[in-house]
Amino acid sequence: MDKDFAARRRRDLIIAAALAAIAALTPLFVKDVVVQNIMILTLMYAGLSQSWNILSGYCGQISLGHALYFGLGAYTTELLFTKFGVLPWFGMLAGGVVSALIAMGLGYPFFRLRGHYFVIATIVIAEIGLLLFHNWEWAGAAMGITIPIRGDSWLKFQFLRTKLPYFYFALALCCLAWFVTWWLENSKWGFWWRAVKDNPEAAESLGVDVFNSKMGAAAVSAFLVAVGGSFYAQFVSYIDPESVMGFQFSLLMALPAVLGGIGTLWGPVLGAAILIPLTELTRFKFGGSGRGVDLIVYGTLIVLISLALPRGLLSLFSRPKKTGVAR
Amino acid sequence: MTITRREMLLGATATAALVPLAARAQTAEVVIGVIYPFSGGSAQQGVDAQKAYETALEVINKDSDFDLPLAKGEGLPGLGGAKIRLVFADHQADPQKGRAEAERLITQEKVSAIIGTYQSAVAVTVSQICERYQVPFLSADNSSPSLHRRGLKYYFRASPHDEMYSAAMFDFFDAMKKKGTKIETLSLFHEDTIFGTDSGNAQTKIAGERGYKIVTDIKYRANSPSLSAEVQQLKTANADVLMPSSYTTDGILLVKTMAELGYKPNAIVAQDAGFSEKALYDAVGDKLEGVISRGTFSLDLAQKRPMVGKINEMFKARSGKDFNDLTSRQFMGLIILADAISRAKSTDGEKIRDALAATDIPGEKTIMPWKRVKFDEMGQNNDADPVLLQYVGGKFVTIFPPQAAIAEAIWPMK
Amino acid sequence: MGLLYGLIAVGLALIFGLMDVTNFAHGEFLMIAMYLSFFLFAFFAIDPLLSAPLVAAALFIFGAVIYLLLVRFAMRAKANAGMVQIFTTFGLAIVMRGLAQYFFTPDYRSIPQSWLGGKTISVGGIFLPEPQLVGALVSIAAFAALYFFIHRTDFGRAIEATREDPGAVALVGIDKNRVFAFGWGLGAALVGLAGAIMAVFFYIYPDVGASFALIAYVTVALGGFGSVFGAFAGGIIVGLVEAVTALVLPPSLKSVGIYSVYLLVVFIRPRGLFGSM
Repeated sequence: MDKDFAARRRRDLIIAAALAAIAALTPLFVKDVVVQNIMILTLMYAGLSQSWNILSGYCGQISLGHALYFGLGAYTTELLFTKFGVLPWFGMLAGGVVSALIAMGLGYPFFRLRGHYFVIATIVIAEIGLLLFHNWEWAGAAMGITIPIRGDSWLKFQFLRTKLPYFYFALALCCLAWFVTWWLENSKWGFWWRAVKDNPEAAESLGVDVFNSKMGAAAVSAFLVAVGGSFYAQFVSYIDPESVMGFQFSLLMALPAVLGGIGTLWGPVLGAAILIPLTELTRFKFGGSGRGVDLIVYGTLIVLISLALPRGLLSLFSRPKKTGVAR
Repeated sequence: MTITRREMLLGATATAALVPLAARAQTAEVVIGVIYPFSGGSAQQGVDAQKAYETALEVINKDSDFDLPLAKGEGLPGLGGAKIRLVFADHQADPQKGRAEAERLITQEKVSAIIGTYQSAVAVTVSQICERYQVPFLSADNSSPSLHRRGLKYYFRASPHDEMYSAAMFDFFDAMKKKGTKIETLSLFHEDTIFGTDSGNAQTKIAGERGYKIVTDIKYRANSPSLSAEVQQLKTANADVLMPSSYTTDGILLVKTMAELGYKPNAIVAQDAGFSEKALYDAVGDKLEGVISRGTFSLDLAQKRPMVGKINEMFKARSGKDFNDLTSRQFMGLIILADAISRAKSTDGEKIRDALAATDIPGEKTIMPWKRVKFDEMGQNNDADPVLLQYVGGKFVTIFPPQAAIAEAIWPMK
Repeated sequence: MGLLYGLIAVGLALIFGLMDVTNFAHGEFLMIAMYLSFFLFAFFAIDPLLSAPLVAAALFIFGAVIYLLLVRFAMRAKANAGMVQIFTTFGLAIVMRGLAQYFFTPDYRSIPQSWLGGKTISVGGIFLPEPQLVGALVSIAAFAALYFFIHRTDFGRAIEATREDPGAVALVGIDKNRVFAFGWGLGAALVGLAGAIMAVFFYIYPDVGASFALIAYVTVALGGFGSVFGAFAGGIIVGLVEAVTALVLPPSLKSVGIYSVYLLVVFIRPRGLFGSM
């Protein structure tokens, strides 16, 4: 690694720490729960999108089925909690492990598929998961699971009115996902992924190693997304198959990364910071009209951004001269 | 500490004199949040609901001579004639968005109460938020029985839930059997979201208790592109009664597919939802002569209570549709809620809650065929009697229970 | 039903497979087609069967315009072309739904009476609904025509050649944009045909496309990208699997059968049944 690259990485880390610190302080000034709600969702989607980006951006395996892991995380946590009294914190971990194992199990056959075949396979597997949960009586089927609220408790990770604990958890998740990405970027895996993306044939020579690194990416990505899922379940305190495993989550995880810049360290954060407040605001402003204006505004923006900036919004900031040096 | 009688009297007169003044000064308007799906697959229900609430708003805020609570005079008398303002929010059928919107309405729009939501899954999260902020939630049109059994203090439902509806259907079957009609086997056909699942469970339970045999129990995927395989199974089973629990989209497809596959059941007794929607009868009404649906509302009530017809005209002027089972409940829901706020003489959540809990409106002062509106300790109105309606000659007539019926049931259907 | 899935899918196959462009707005094309035949029926009392060519023609123009206005630019993207296409068409789908809701209101519509609606032919105790039957015939005809078109005419070869090597084609003097705009038009026209037939027996509302879109993608991929015959075969398989699964499993799980068959097929043959890419 040359000096420029190392310097850039150090700078990234400092910026991230500064941003996280600023974010951590905002609740001191922002007391409005609605704004806090938006901030929590933004951080959560930034973290989710960052995790998605590990597999789909860096590894180039575009998955539109990550809702499966999100839902698995949510369901594992809440089933353990409501049926066996296992505290959500352990459930969260269990959900992550289950998802990571499933991701690796699926990765084995899936990574043989290319392009559209892979994308459709990921959509389909998430749909199968959704349908199975929809018909699984013990897991509440369509009725979902209502998380019993017994008052503020860190142990049970539930709070009646205050949103601050959720906020800090979402921030922590986002930071964790960012840090894992940052760390992976400079790892052996990160190197292989770049190689595979740039030249799939040449990377064949790396063979087994690359395959294993992809499995690793799938596992890490699924684990983090599942943790996000259990967070979401605790935050909303009610889950049903449609609301945690629906296709829209797969898209919502991918969108921030794509808008911000896919396969980049900062893309997902930037994308989420713009996209999530935008969705919420268009709904506040136009949602009550009943005439679909919010959809028109939202859809048009997606079309415009993806057409105008194919590399994502981040490409607005990048200085062209340095690209490629690190390679 | 002792208080003399004189002091108490003085205090009482003083407050009595002060309150209306203060109320007049502070609350020129009362804000109520309305949370519905205004985009996505069920946007139509949201838009219809909006029209129903606006009709109720007109009755409350303007002077009219209907025999309904709050109709006479302008605004809420208990709050010095304060007007009600509605704020509409879109939950897009997503429980998380419903939750966020409820929170926004409570904290930013300062609503005094919330009414909604069409989808039961969203009602779960909205009512939880209301509970946390101690703001009453009136569930106008959710019919899932699990909703009021969660021990929430701020949850109220004036209309029946699916177990009450299903019980009414089986009461009807029992009555028909006494008259010598053969009803032994049933086919259940229900969709796989919370509504269909709940309804299917309730029907299975009651059928077991009363000795009816369920020959097929088909749970299908909502918004399925095709129902051919499902209908084929219904046809093979050929039960005495087909009992669908479907939303509009699936209902249309079901009826069309049945016609295509040549399946004509003896009788269809439907769990409302799609089978009370105008869109469904516009599409396939000709194939539904004689279908029976449960409901909480019937336009032929206008024969006994002329105001029902007049209010229906007001609604029709806005929406181009007659009141149906949903929109009538929504209309009534807002009236009940506003009445409680007026009696609470306050916009404070806890006081409105107490006023709601004390609600006792006789059935004649509603547009519904109910005995009365009175909530039990779980917030459920158990006196909301469902009715069964039969679609005859392009409109619905009430056929059950006997005290509300204006015609005999035609059985089997044509 | 399988043949209709096939007809929806073959339009997608043309866009998705032959031109290698992801189109996430395919279901919305279907929705527009269904609305068109509904309005032609409601205002001019033209039976959907008669208006089908009109609808197909309108969709042809619509598809070509969408290509020229949007997709052309999405394909030009230098980086992440796949993602740009996915999200451009996905955004387009959202806009189309919003516009449909804005102009047509979210009311459920359907065509109450038509020449075919609700009529059935009974062959040896098996009921064959006429609309589906006609749909099946139209599908077969459309497949045959398309197959001939792709493999036997210059234009069909031009589409394929353009996908494989746009640069070389330009040298021969073929305008890539014209070829692809035509291809998009054709794909949209086919889905227009499907929409017109489906309007007879299906309900219509702004989100109707969503129910069919995923099945169409699976059908195309099952048959294999780049193969018109594959989409046709895929459609039939999907229809059969759906019917069989509904008998074995609870009907609410019938899509699981379709999806599992897809996964099984691509695990064994990573390029679908007849795929060339």
